[in-house]
Amino acid sequence: MKRALRVDWPACHARGVCHELLPEVVDLDEWGYPIVGGEVTPELLGLAREAVRMCPRLALRIVET
Amino acid sequence: MNSSPIAVCEDPDVHAGPALFSGLDSGPSLAAHREQYGDVPRISLADLTAAIDRTGLRGRGGAAFPFAIKLRAAADGSRRPVVVINLSEGEPASSKDSALARTRPHLVLDGAVATARALGAHAVHVVLPGDRPLTVAAMDAAIAERHDRRMRLVRHVASPRFVAGQARAVLELMAGRPNLPVTAWTPEAVAGHRSRPTLLSNAETWAHVGRLLHTGPPAGLGTDDEPGTTLLTLRLPGARVAVREVQYGASLRSVLPAKDDAAVLLGGFHGTWTTARAARRLKVSVPGFRESGLALGAGLVLAVDDCPVAWTQRIVAYLAGQSARRCGPCLNGLPALAAAVSAIDDGTGTARVEQLAGLVERRGACAHPDGTVRLVRSLLTAYPDEIDRHGAGHCSWTRQATVVRRLRSVAS
Repeated sequence: MKRALRVDWPACHARGVCHELLPEVVDLDEWGYPIVGGEVTPELLGLAREAVRMCPRLALRIVET
Repeated sequence: MNSSPIAVCEDPDVHAGPALFSGLDSGPSLAAHREQYGDVPRISLADLTAAIDRTGLRGRGGAAFPFAIKLRAAADGSRRPVVVINLSEGEPASSKDSALARTRPHLVLDGAVATARALGAHAVHVVLPGDRPLTVAAMDAAIAERHDRRMRLVRHVASPRFVAGQARAVLELMAGRPNLPVTAWTPEAVAGHRSRPTLLSNAETWAHVGRLLHTGPPAGLGTDDEPGTTLLTLRLPGARVAVREVQYGASLRSVLPAKDDAAVLLGGFHGTWTTARAARRLKVSVPGFRESGLALGAGLVLAVDDCPVAWTQRIVAYLAGQSARRCGPCLNGLPALAAAVSAIDDGTGTARVEQLAGLVERRGACAHPDGTVRLVRSLLTAYPDEIDRHGAGHCSWTRQATVVRRLRSVAS
């Protein structure tokens, strides 16, 4: 089972914490909103969970794909 | 805010058709409906599922999602399901749901009520379009004619906004919150209204369910792969708006004007552009349109005898204003996309259009950004030469606009 990050778009206010914690997976667009690319590999899972926990808008989830 | 470049039409010409639109002459009353069809069909869930499987019914709200998958998901839940009829068609150019409400309201209601009974639901929610008073009045009149104590009909009126008819926005409305899309973590057929399995479908979908349960599978209509019929809203130059019931597999040639220089928008504002020449070669088919890179969507066929680039600029400006303004990529990206599509006339090219299309696509709670991108990309695909011509200050359709632009460039 693969894992990915999914954004709750109405909740996201472009604070950018996810990008700071997980630049391997999260880029930012020109307005500061996350561009989520690629899989959350087992090595990145810890950081991904941290990004979910630290999002000030609680706008991130890890979903199984 | 930009208003819709096409005004809503609630009073289209409705032509007699082979299934949903048969027996139109007797009017929309419950008495006439019962005379034609009899009582609400009683059917078990197993028989209903089998009947739906045989016809391969797809949703008619625009996404063409298989109805059987939603039905099974709603039936498989542990809680009592909820059934919703969605009449709040957001596409201003589409009139098929209005046509159904005004001519065949009880076929729509019978489909939903019979399904609700089979599922053990206690209520059918009817979601009406806030910007279509005649449609609301027609459904209200139909609801008032029905007296079934075991099946409540609960009406809601959606906001007059393009995205208000989106499934999650409808569930928000039913929950008493603002009628705007939110993120769906699970399909609404699994967990929707009050977390109950919610079978939400477009009015035309329910009318097909009603017809199927009353008269059986649509024998001799459509093709083996796509049995039955579908409703098209026809908007042709110089003609009244019409809603026509056509068989799957029918040629679009029969409904389109012969002029080869007409541009044709298929599906809706979230749909796709093509040329009249290409459109006339098409057969009405969900997968067939898809293979051609086109969308049958909500069934709009709009033929225009002026410039598709200018039309797209007006439509995208309108769609940008219709964003619920909740999702960042849509809130920021659609106005930027509208500006980039307008700037094609200034010779800026399409690189920025392509870039913004990639930035907004699949990055929102609802399909509004995706649909807008679909429209813009189809323009780039169908009219590359015309876009180049606009970039050079010309237009094949509007000599006047070219003159204006030349004068502007002389003045500056």
